[in-house]
Amino acid sequence: MVNPILLIVVPLGLAFALPIVNLISKKIIKYIPVLAFLFNLILSLLLIPKVLEQTIIVKIGGFHPPFGINLFVGPVGILFSTLIALAGFLVSIYALSYIKEGPKEKYHILYLLLLTGATGVVLTGDMFNLFVFFEILCISSYALVAYLGNKAGIESSIKYLIQGSVGSSLLLLGIGLLYGQLGTLNMADIANQINSISSPSIFVPMIFIITGLGIEAAIFPLNAWLPDAHSSAPSSISAILSGIAIEVGLYAVIRVIFTIFNASSFLMFFVFLGVLTLLIGEMSAFSQKNIKRMLAYSSIGQIGLIMFAISLNTQLGISAGFFQMISHTLGKGLLFLSVGFLIYKTGSMKISSFEGIGKKMPITSLLFTIGAFSIVGLPPFAGFASKFMIIKAALTTGQLLFTVLIGVILLGTVIEGAYFFKVIQSIYFKGTTDIIKRDEAPLIALISMSIFVLLIIFIGVYPDFIARILNSAASEFINRIDYIRSVLG
Amino acid sequence: MNIIALFVSPLIALIAGMFFLGLSRKISARIQWRYGPPIYQPVIDVIRSFSQKSITHGKFFDFGIILSLSSSFVLILFLPIGKLCALTSGGLIAFLYLMLMGPFGIALSGAAAANPNSSIGISRKFLLALAYEVPLLLVLLTVMTHYHTISLVEIVNIQANSGWAFGSWALILPGIAYLLILPAILGMRPFEVVGAAQEISSGPIAEFGGKHLAFYTLQHALHVFVGIALFVDIFLGGWTFFGLLNPLAGTVWAVIFGIIIFLLKMTLVLFIGLFVNAVYPRFRIEQAMQYLWKWPTLISFVGLIIVVLTK
Amino acid sequence: MSLELLLIIAFSGAFLTYLSGKISSQLRDGVAVLISLGLVAIVSFLYNVQTETVFYQGFFGISLILRMNSLAWFFAIAIVSFTALCIIYSLSYMKDCERSNYYYFMMLLINASMLTIVLAGDLVTFFVAWEIMSWSTFLLISYNRNGALQAGIKYIVLSLIGSMCMLVGILSIYTSFGTVNIADVANHLTPSSVGYKLFLLIIFSITFGIKNAIMPLHTWLPDAYAESPSPFSAVLSGMLTRMGVFGFLLIMYVIVGMKTTLHLGRGFLSFNTILCWLGAITIVIPTFIAMLQNDAKKLLAWHGIGQGGYMIVGIAFGTSLGAAGGIFHTLNHATYIVLLFLSVGAIEYSTNGLRDLNSLGGLFKKMPIAFFGGLLGISGLIGVPLTNGFVSKWLIYKTLILGNAPFLAFAALLGTWGTVLSVYKFLHNLFLGQLPEEHKEIKKAPLTMQIPIVILSFTIILFGILPGLPLKVINSIIVAAGFQALDINIWGVTSETGTLNMLNIFAAIAVFGAIFWGIFKVARKSTPVDQYDNYAAGAAVPKNKYHYTVEYYAPFYRMGKPFLKDIFDMFYNRIAEAIGSICDSVRKIYTGYVGSYVMYIVLFIASLIFVQLTWSIF
Repeated sequence: MVNPILLIVVPLGLAFALPIVNLISKKIIKYIPVLAFLFNLILSLLLIPKVLEQTIIVKIGGFHPPFGINLFVGPVGILFSTLIALAGFLVSIYALSYIKEGPKEKYHILYLLLLTGATGVVLTGDMFNLFVFFEILCISSYALVAYLGNKAGIESSIKYLIQGSVGSSLLLLGIGLLYGQLGTLNMADIANQINSISSPSIFVPMIFIITGLGIEAAIFPLNAWLPDAHSSAPSSISAILSGIAIEVGLYAVIRVIFTIFNASSFLMFFVFLGVLTLLIGEMSAFSQKNIKRMLAYSSIGQIGLIMFAISLNTQLGISAGFFQMISHTLGKGLLFLSVGFLIYKTGSMKISSFEGIGKKMPITSLLFTIGAFSIVGLPPFAGFASKFMIIKAALTTGQLLFTVLIGVILLGTVIEGAYFFKVIQSIYFKGTTDIIKRDEAPLIALISMSIFVLLIIFIGVYPDFIARILNSAASEFINRIDYIRSVLG
Repeated sequence: MNIIALFVSPLIALIAGMFFLGLSRKISARIQWRYGPPIYQPVIDVIRSFSQKSITHGKFFDFGIILSLSSSFVLILFLPIGKLCALTSGGLIAFLYLMLMGPFGIALSGAAAANPNSSIGISRKFLLALAYEVPLLLVLLTVMTHYHTISLVEIVNIQANSGWAFGSWALILPGIAYLLILPAILGMRPFEVVGAAQEISSGPIAEFGGKHLAFYTLQHALHVFVGIALFVDIFLGGWTFFGLLNPLAGTVWAVIFGIIIFLLKMTLVLFIGLFVNAVYPRFRIEQAMQYLWKWPTLISFVGLIIVVLTK
Repeated sequence: MSLELLLIIAFSGAFLTYLSGKISSQLRDGVAVLISLGLVAIVSFLYNVQTETVFYQGFFGISLILRMNSLAWFFAIAIVSFTALCIIYSLSYMKDCERSNYYYFMMLLINASMLTIVLAGDLVTFFVAWEIMSWSTFLLISYNRNGALQAGIKYIVLSLIGSMCMLVGILSIYTSFGTVNIADVANHLTPSSVGYKLFLLIIFSITFGIKNAIMPLHTWLPDAYAESPSPFSAVLSGMLTRMGVFGFLLIMYVIVGMKTTLHLGRGFLSFNTILCWLGAITIVIPTFIAMLQNDAKKLLAWHGIGQGGYMIVGIAFGTSLGAAGGIFHTLNHATYIVLLFLSVGAIEYSTNGLRDLNSLGGLFKKMPIAFFGGLLGISGLIGVPLTNGFVSKWLIYKTLILGNAPFLAFAALLGTWGTVLSVYKFLHNLFLGQLPEEHKEIKKAPLTMQIPIVILSFTIILFGILPGLPLKVINSIIVAAGFQALDINIWGVTSETGTLNMLNIFAAIAVFGAIFWGIFKVARKSTPVDQYDNYAAGAAVPKNKYHYTVEYYAPFYRMGKPFLKDIFDMFYNRIAEAIGSICDSVRKIYTGYVGSYVMYIVLFIASLIFVQLTWSIF
């Protein structure tokens, strides 16, 4: 039997091995992330059927929980690790041609660490381990945001660092308080004992942990670092930050709320917060002139939508939220990647500088367009299927409140549509009418982006393909007793 | 009966129309202390026009006027003249649309001539038409709603009981409105803006000469006939005269006398119209529109509301 | 021939056209024409077929269905025929345009998506096709750049609002009944509450009202029609906008059902009365605004809105005659408005893109075919007897008058009389009057542009004289919707309250026309003269000095201009501006100063603690 721990060990080991490889040959280092995530992807895909049958608990060092550290490879974990490996694989292929300057070996090390951290967060069953992986994720992203070494990059990296540190401290504080009261760090064990202590003493660690994680999850108003960081990072990293990092953050938040604290009363608050995050995100994106900032704000909006769906606290709502995460990873990843080369060729992030680029880079523009359509939620792309599911989940609750909130969300969609369509217009229908020489993105990058497109269309047309795993993932959140039992036995 | 009507009614309409044209010129002259031309002057004009030279601006120029005259004749077939009515298909709605085709044909023909005066005249004609159509449509809708039918023949037949429409008081207001707009429909003073000879050299027909002018005159005669006949049909009971013809019912004489009564009623209406309006000076087109959209519209609108409420 | 195959041909044909364009443009033209004509052939072959097939189940396990019935067939044949004509027309119209591969691809994609809309047997297929149609339309509206960009954004934003409404409606149906199959939904809906039915009707009416440009949801239309390439304007006005009518038929008479729809409300205020009145307003106001337009396509666009009002009044009035009239008018409107846009397109082609009514004129001798098309087109638009527009309008008027709705009838009739003025101006300023010197020598419109014009002109007359041909199909549609059948003959409609026999009228006009044409021939021959050989009462008409068609209805403009503004458009623009400025101020939350960001974090915790201490909800 393949051991899920390899999902973490292999990339981590390769990250450390990379400097040594660099000494041997500078040319092959860029293929290491590709290999690492190809391995992860294959491994995750192999694990999926097994995990769907039965959750795999990996006991590290053979100590039984709650005494030892364990990995919890449930449907949610495997879903995320597949998604991370997929995005990591495709983006590293893209990066083969995209990352050409700067300290390349450091980029690849940090990239591996970033995604290792993310995989660790989603797979771990231990609170402190969660914190450690979270820090790996965060610290490597601080560094990657500043990768280009320009003023904007360093400035936003420092801003990100300041806010991230506040978050980390809060998280650590929260975990510490919890440990002080319960004497355990195992998530299942904490969940098991949480009802034994009085609610005020749960409340303080809870809000500390939620706030600490919420900063990375880009929940309003904790998301102010995001537009700066996402827009000044290299596009390949923006794609990962938008598509993976914040979603992993959100995963941690909801894992804490659902499984550990079982704070379903908190979810009502999250419903509103989600809608607010969505509206603020979309409205801020509306008047942006910088394309990457626009995409970053749009990510905030999408996170709001996911929060809303998951906070509905129904089987359907949670699976809709996961679905939206998948379609956001694919859609936003594609958008950032295609924009990367648009910016590279025009030398500017201003939307106005993209006028007429549709003639110069027809394929990249087409890919961008498809990504935008998917994010707005137009059929037959993945964004539509997930939005369809979210609305269905909200209406299934039968509560008037949710119906009204759906109206607000759809208003946000209209705003989102308006700004994306404006960009599409300036790509295709502005600028010179003369025939321009083609100057397309490199083939390897196009291939990687085309795979995104294929997935977007495939999932959009055939959502049942992932229905089963989404369903089991949702059940994992709903049935916290099962979670506790499967770990503690 | 229909077959006879098919041949007879156009003839009657043409003759009566020409007669009314002559009559109106004569009466206007007398009102203005002139002697005036003989009543058969329009007939002489038509015959003379046919013998004169004419110019053409191309096939479409000819097409317009032919279309105009033929559709005016078709219109006559829809009109109950006395008891004669050749075509009933489509009722008053079709009638209304066919009324449009006469001026439309002339407009096409006039515009094909590329004469600025024609174009100005046509623009005025359409504006005036829009102005009087608003009250006219209201009046016709009132009548159709009141009698709950769209058939002209039926409207006339229902009136046979009381002799005229004013037996039911709800139709008095629309009747007044129709009388007020009648001069505008006929293009008589003070609504003579379309063919204002002194301003725009007769407007749409500025380029017409010879046979074109003859056709136009015939069309105009029919138009006058239709305008008045419609009033007689929908308000004055058409062929009926307070049960006068009841003893003759079913015989040929009823038909003949019906036509005579019908024509007499028309003459009467023409007289009233002429006496009232011949003394006014000409409106400007804006004045005409404002006038028509003010009083006649208001009256007919109130009339329609009353009819709807009393139903 | 199965329906799946039809749609596969339609969609893959679009892609095939695009790909073949990469090889050579002749090949692409050939493929495009072949595909569009092939679709016409297949759809006409499906006449009188009633079938239903589940074609896909992978979308959340929902059975996606295609079905064919008389309603679907009627719209399908119209869609594919008009698109085919417009594709043929495009061959030379779009010859030297940039991105022509893209143009054909989008045309065929829109065609395919419209086809899917009408064939959809469940609401999800319907919605998906509707959205594909919406975004592909957006991409084609923006094609002409410059002004088209604004038009495109306006269209897609309104369209998105509409489709979001529809999405909520569809999902609410799906969650309530667990099915989206149209036939099943109709059955399930019968026992549900009046309020719910009303909710569905209203929410779908917003969607279809936007698409069909009912006032006050019309503002996307004038710009979009005017700025698109002419053959696409034709498709847009002819069929795409009328998907709204199809939608209304679907929701009112298929899903909710005729018996319910017509009795929703209290007293005067019922759903269909209000819809009727909205339709009436949609007839009158745009017709008068059209009179002020100086752009030929914009003038037609406003009429497009106005004529849509007739369809809505007819359908919403809810009688056999009315529904038949409304549906028939949809077809007729498509025929003549496509024809008119193609005629304007021919002028654009010949005069290098001119469509300004104030700088053209006198083209009728230079472009006889386009003129012929324009003349018949406006006749249809007015509803001159012997054209198809007359028959459908007659049906609507008759039912309004006999249904005791004289005010609605007045609005409808007034709309027609307003139409006369503006379309005459259209014809006059383009084709009649003086021919400016610079247009003495113009490019000749090629055969591929003339053929569609001739076919459409012929159709207008054919359906005008023998309205029974299409009315037979329409009759089966309204019978399926639960209305009483009409007594249709090939020449018109028979009924006790008034028969319409177009053949009679045709015969009368033909006989009199022949007589007077004969007299005219026999009479003394007239001398042909030049256009400037005019009688001007002694004053010479100066050559090329002035253009007397500018401000054609000057007195009316002076009176009407202050009142005839598109206040809704201004209102929406205000809202859009307001939203824009709100968005701008929301953006300022992100100050760029890291101190305030940390403050937000602290505030967040503080507010959580505050909430907990006050209400202790967690």
